[in-house]
Amino acid sequence: MSWRKWLGILVVAVLVPGTLIFGAVVVQDRRAYLSSFLVIVYAMVPFFLHFEKRRPKARELVMIAVLSSLAVVGRMAFFMLPQVKPITAIVIIAGVCFGAETGFLTGAVSALVSNFFFGQGAWTPWQMFCWGLIGFLAGIIFHHSRLRKSRIALCVYGGLSTLLLFGGIMNFSSVLLMNGKLSWPVIVATYAAGIPFDLMHAASTAVFMLLLARPMQEKLERVQVKYGLMDS
Amino acid sequence: MVQDAFSGYHPAVNFLYFLMVLLASMLFMHPVPLCIGLVSAIVYSVMLSGWRALRFSLVFVLPMILVVTLVNPLFSHQGKSVLFYLWENPVTVESCVYGVVTAVMFVTVIVWFSCYNVVMTSDKFIYLFGRTVPSLSLILSMCMRFVPRFKAQVRTIATAQKCIGQDVGTGNVRQRMRHGIRILSVLVSWTLENAIETADSMRARGYGLSGRTHYALYHFGARDKVTLVVLFALSAVVFAGFFGGELSMQYFPVIEGKAFTAFSALAFTSFLALCLTPIAIDVADALRWRMLRKKDISDGKNRMENDGAD
Repeated sequence: MSWRKWLGILVVAVLVPGTLIFGAVVVQDRRAYLSSFLVIVYAMVPFFLHFEKRRPKARELVMIAVLSSLAVVGRMAFFMLPQVKPITAIVIIAGVCFGAETGFLTGAVSALVSNFFFGQGAWTPWQMFCWGLIGFLAGIIFHHSRLRKSRIALCVYGGLSTLLLFGGIMNFSSVLLMNGKLSWPVIVATYAAGIPFDLMHAASTAVFMLLLARPMQEKLERVQVKYGLMDS
Repeated sequence: MVQDAFSGYHPAVNFLYFLMVLLASMLFMHPVPLCIGLVSAIVYSVMLSGWRALRFSLVFVLPMILVVTLVNPLFSHQGKSVLFYLWENPVTVESCVYGVVTAVMFVTVIVWFSCYNVVMTSDKFIYLFGRTVPSLSLILSMCMRFVPRFKAQVRTIATAQKCIGQDVGTGNVRQRMRHGIRILSVLVSWTLENAIETADSMRARGYGLSGRTHYALYHFGARDKVTLVVLFALSAVVFAGFFGGELSMQYFPVIEGKAFTAFSALAFTSFLALCLTPIAIDVADALRWRMLRKKDISDGKNRMENDGAD
C-alpha cells in the first residue's frame, strides 16, 4: 500500500510539475502539447502498476478482457454511424458493477484495443485516459451506492460524462495537436466545431445506457454471485 | 511495394524508431525538419502499403488539413505583414504561413502513424510490454483473440435468431431494435460464461505460478544492436539541436529563423538520416536480394553449360 502512495506523491509532486517546468523552459514551440501528452501518460501509470503489483487472478483478467472486447465489437457494429460508440456505455457499466479499478482498466484497454483495429494515432493515449476516467468515476459514484439501480441516474451520468469528460478532453487534445499557439478564439472555435459530434456521442451513450444498463447489470451481477467474482 | 525488411527487425527497434520520429514530427515547427519528415513519411508509407492506401488516408484527412490551414489566419491576428482585412480583422502573412506549417505537421504525424500501424503489429506491441506489465499484456492478447471470436459468435446468434423469425433486418424499427438487443443479450451471456471457463482452465494449467515462460519469435541480433545504437546516436544529436534552440523558428510577429550554423546543419542531416533509416534498410535489403538472385541464376547457367560440355 505504501509504495503506491509514494508513487502517487512522486507523480503529483515531482513528475508533473517537473514536466510542466521542463516544457515551459526548454521546449519552445510545442510546449503545451508535449507537457500535456506526458502528463496524460503519467496519470495512467499508477493505475497500471497497482494492477500489476497485486497479481490479479485469472478470472479478473478474463473479465476485463471480455468487457473490453464487447465494447470493441460494439464499436465495430456501429462503425457506419459516426460517433455512435457503445464503448462509453459498456465502460460505465463495467465500473458500476465491478468498481473503479475495473472501470478504469476496461476503459483504457478498450481504447487501446479498438485502435489496433481502427488505427493507432496521437489520440490513443488521450482516449485511453478519457474512457479510463469515465469508467473510474462511474465506479466511484455508483459501485457502492443505491444509485446503481437508477436507470435515470446512469443515463444522465453517461450523457454528461461523454459530453464533458470525453468531449472536453478530446477537443482539448486536438486543440493542442493542431495549434502551436494556444489562444482563446482557437479553443472556442475547436470546441464549437466539436459540439455536434460530442452531442451525438453523448446522446447515443445515453440511449445505450437506457437500453443496456439494466440487462447488462443483471447478467454481470449474476455471474458475480454465481462464481464469487471480484467481491470487494 | 517491396517486402519491408525493417519490420523484420526486433520490435524494440521498430518501436523506438517510431517513438523518435513521432516525437520529432509533433515537436519540430522548423520548415526544414518538417519537410524532411513529411517526405520520408510519405515515401515509407508508399513503400509499405502502396499509393492507394496513402490516397485513402489523405482523402480522409484533407478536410482536417483545410480546416487547420484556414483556422489559423482567421483566428490569430498576430504578425506584422497584413495581407487584407476580413470583417475588420487583419489577415497576416505570418499566420497564413503558420497555418500551413501546422497542417504539414499534422499530415506528417498522420502518415507516420499509418506506417506505425503496418510495422508495429499488435503481437509486437504485446511482446514489448509483456515483461513489464504481464497481466495487462495478457489482457491485450486475450482481447485480440476475443474480438474476432465475438464477431463470429454474433453472426452465429443472428442466424439462429433469424431461424425463429427474429431477424434484425425485418419488422419496424422498434422490432428491429428489440431483435438487435436480444442478439447482444445472448452474446453477453455466452461470453461471460465462456470467460469463466477460460479463466478456470487457465488456473488449472497453472496460471499465476512462478516460472512462467513466454513464447516469442523475436531475437535481438547483431543488426538490431547496430541499428539501435545508430538510432540513439542520431536522435541524441537531433534532440540536442532541438533543445539547444537550433531547430527553433519564430513565426510571430515576423518570420525569423536562427542563423544556419554547423550544429544546425548537423542536426538536420541527423534528422534526415533518422527518418530515412527504414527506407535505407529496405533498399539495401532489396539490392542484396537482387544481387544474390543474379548470382544464383548465373551460377545455375554456368552449371548447365558445364553439364552440356560433359
